[in-house]
Amino acid sequence: MKNKKAITLLATILISAMLLLAGCGGESASDSDGDSKVIKFMHLWPEGSSKTHNEIVNEIIADYEDENPGVKVELEVLSNEQYKDKIQVLSTSDELPDVGMTWAAGYLQPYVDGNKFAPLDDIIESDLKDSFVSGTAEAYAIDGKTYGLPLELNIATVFYNKAIFEEYGLEAPKTLEELEQVIETLNENDVAPIALGNKDRWTGSLWYMYLADRIGGSDVLTNAINRTGTFEDPALVQAAEEVQNLVNMDAFVKGFNGLADEEAKSMFMNEQAAMYLIATWDLPNYTTNEDVPQEFRDSVGYFKFPTVDGKGDMNSFVGGPGVGLFVAENSDVKEEAKDFASFFVQEWGEKSVTQAGVIPATKLDAGSLDLPQMYVDVLEDLNSASNLTLFADVQMSPDAAQVHLDMIQAIFGNEVTPEEFTKAHEDALSAE
Amino acid sequence: MKRVGYLILYLCLGIVALFQIFPIIWLFLFSLKDNREIFSGSPFALPSELRWENYLKVWDSGIGTYFWNSLWITAMAILLTVLFASMATFAITRMQWKLNKLVLGLFMVGLMIPIHSAIIPLFSMFLNVNLIDNPWSIVITYTTYNLPITIMILLGFYYTLPREIEEAAIIDGCSINRMFFRIILPMTAPVMSTTVIINMIYNWNEFVFVNTFISSDMYKTLTVGIQNFIGQYMTDWGAIGATLIISVLPILLAFIFFSNKVVEGISASAVKG
Amino acid sequence: MGLNVMNKVMSNKWIIAFYVLPALLLIAILIFVPLILTGYYGLMDWDGIGEMNFIGLENYWNALQDDKFWESAWHSFLLAFFSTLSLIIYLVISLILASKIKGADLLRKIYLIPMLLSSVAIAQLWIKVFNPTNGMLNHILMAIGIENPPAWLAEPSVVLFAIFVPILWQYAGFYILIYYAALKNIPESIVEAARIDGASPLQIAYRIKLPLIMGVVKVTIVLAVVGSLKYFDLIYVMTSGGPNGASEVMASYMYKLAFSSNDFGYGSAIGFLLLIITLIVTVIVRKATATKEEIQY
Repeated sequence: MKNKKAITLLATILISAMLLLAGCGGESASDSDGDSKVIKFMHLWPEGSSKTHNEIVNEIIADYEDENPGVKVELEVLSNEQYKDKIQVLSTSDELPDVGMTWAAGYLQPYVDGNKFAPLDDIIESDLKDSFVSGTAEAYAIDGKTYGLPLELNIATVFYNKAIFEEYGLEAPKTLEELEQVIETLNENDVAPIALGNKDRWTGSLWYMYLADRIGGSDVLTNAINRTGTFEDPALVQAAEEVQNLVNMDAFVKGFNGLADEEAKSMFMNEQAAMYLIATWDLPNYTTNEDVPQEFRDSVGYFKFPTVDGKGDMNSFVGGPGVGLFVAENSDVKEEAKDFASFFVQEWGEKSVTQAGVIPATKLDAGSLDLPQMYVDVLEDLNSASNLTLFADVQMSPDAAQVHLDMIQAIFGNEVTPEEFTKAHEDALSAE
Repeated sequence: MKRVGYLILYLCLGIVALFQIFPIIWLFLFSLKDNREIFSGSPFALPSELRWENYLKVWDSGIGTYFWNSLWITAMAILLTVLFASMATFAITRMQWKLNKLVLGLFMVGLMIPIHSAIIPLFSMFLNVNLIDNPWSIVITYTTYNLPITIMILLGFYYTLPREIEEAAIIDGCSINRMFFRIILPMTAPVMSTTVIINMIYNWNEFVFVNTFISSDMYKTLTVGIQNFIGQYMTDWGAIGATLIISVLPILLAFIFFSNKVVEGISASAVKG
Repeated sequence: MGLNVMNKVMSNKWIIAFYVLPALLLIAILIFVPLILTGYYGLMDWDGIGEMNFIGLENYWNALQDDKFWESAWHSFLLAFFSTLSLIIYLVISLILASKIKGADLLRKIYLIPMLLSSVAIAQLWIKVFNPTNGMLNHILMAIGIENPPAWLAEPSVVLFAIFVPILWQYAGFYILIYYAALKNIPESIVEAARIDGASPLQIAYRIKLPLIMGVVKVTIVLAVVGSLKYFDLIYVMTSGGPNGASEVMASYMYKLAFSSNDFGYGSAIGFLLLIITLIVTVIVRKATATKEEIQY
């Protein structure tokens, strides 16, 4: 009898504990109490690693709250990987934040299909009319509606160590042949030519994309991905061959397939490798970042990806917008959220470039800003760009992107032939 | 002859010890470097200058709250896990009922779940009972997910307990609860300490559940503090090293404490037994 | 009469329920419900975000024909095999530490240190050890005259074994801790009696101590096998399963499908198969290690 009591007691305790907790949990879940409205905002710039980004966000929020009394912005900050995982978990339970960050094209697709993100064309047509660099907002468009407001714009270029080049009498190459000569000279002198961290795979993809662009023209890859063309196009096969040529002539640092981009970057920054193909989000490292020795920053230059066999347009770039803002479709405060997102983008533009060294996706009046020379050059390149091809793994659906990335590692590792490489892509893309 | 044997034995043990103690030394050096040094030099190169500012950075990032959360969440989950696991193991191994093997089997299956297939279902369950962004969701999850392994470890020890003790206790008119809490639990103190150490390490270092279930800064734990230094394009590894050092210290102290218990406990119970 | 009382008390259903239910309920709700849901999601065509569509066993059928899945399963088996083998080393170390040699207490504590570190720290340490140009390992190898040491994490033929080293090393402390506790649990009188009979330390270890902790050893074999088959942490951080799947294991493959490829239905099916495979292997291991006279637990 006594034990019966004990069990009842235990069950009561457990249940009442649950209820109690449930009660407590309710507090933070309220989206609006009384007149004041709460906008939940998630971003991926933690204070520790992205101090300036983080500060700008806080400034913008403070300004917004000042201008809009009665609206509060509630923040959650996660790091990149954790952010992606959490967004997916949240969206399965329809618990997305009111405003958050998204990537373009392929990443966006499942969220749009699942009706999770709100179309933002109305604010792009009104508040933000003509404020984006052309091609950036379009990357967030699916079936004619735009679901993201781009914040950054990056292009990939080859950064190189001018001091090393000078030492061996080298010049920035304009053609692939010249690049290969540079590589040979560097190898003869025991300098690792190119830093590449291909564990992350999108890094190798940049090389492949540029080769494809130069050999087959600026739309051959895009067409293969959007299925107006085929991935078995001879130019795409040849680009893969060129990748293997470079690998076979030891163009890349040892063990690149096992190195993270960050490790490769550090080799370049420690002058252990002469060249490094990366996007312009790295510019602060070579210009304003005080943690990097001045001497090194002064010795870094960049060149546009060279032409191949006299083909290709050096003003065609691989790149595109990085993260952008989304507004959740089933947000309780959708109008306020949209308003906040629009406000954010407008304030972000100038602040981000001057304070954090980000090239924003909104149009800039570069002349009026006091920027390091390298920024001025990059902005000029962007103005004269003939084409901007979005990163391949961003263009593709998440499924196909994984195939692409794995295949990049395989082709760089000489594990597949160029024909197998293109066939795997063709199969993955046509399966959708 | 025998002396040479001992010499070789100690040499081997010493080499192994060196291997095992390296990571702490490495981590400490790591925490005083910046990214350039971390990536370029040998892992055991001394930092060119001691960058204590890494610790300052970590301190400024509000690690105090994280620390406190880690502490109480870990302790609470350990308490519940070890208590519930001991009770269940006791019933499975010492009491007489038909379904005990089936129930044990269920606990073993619990060992096999890959956590990444659990987080989406768990999230929606906690959401339904309003436990999202509530630290108790973490306590409950840690408690549960450590139960199987704790039970498995306790099992072998419970089987070796002599029956006579229970018989004597029961015949003396001791209630079963009294017997369990006053006799059995103290007797298993060494293995309980072992499971406490293991639980402690798991709970202290866990981050997938915290990241998923918690969104307010005030409830986050130390492992999430590490995330603070991982950036979109850049990561501050020195600060991560400092966070790791700060987070390993308490666990090191607790470990030494409980690991002494592993030995002390037995002598205590040997007297009673 | 005494035994009657004993049996009556020890088979009281209410008491049993009181002792088992807290743990059982928690497991049922927080582990078994997600497990069943995982199996259920496996029947869906679902990106983890939008609508679910029921497609029957298609995901499971595809998984069984998926070379990548079987390759990752093979890698997991290898890890399980080596983890089990390495138990012997841990057992030997524990036997030495538990036989009253000088400094055993300190050594034991030192041996357990790596276990305290989070996987984040261990992964970073070993990434740096394995770095092909700046890493410690290759520096040592070159110093002793090996001209072109491999890039450990980049070469498909070695990466898997390179990554096993830190995993096995990481768990050394865990098993030594358990073995040590088990050895310390052996009554001193038994060991003393054998010593008086003239048994050597080796004989005591092999003939007396080992059989007495066999139950614990069997449990650790199960833990090692199950733990290895669902292992994820270090592999994901150090290689992400690459290059091109050369170090992919079942759990990392599942994670990639569910969270990177947005193929949550298929990923769940893989997760459920992982569970079934682990279950089968565990049953086999337990059958293989069971002795006749022993009570099956």
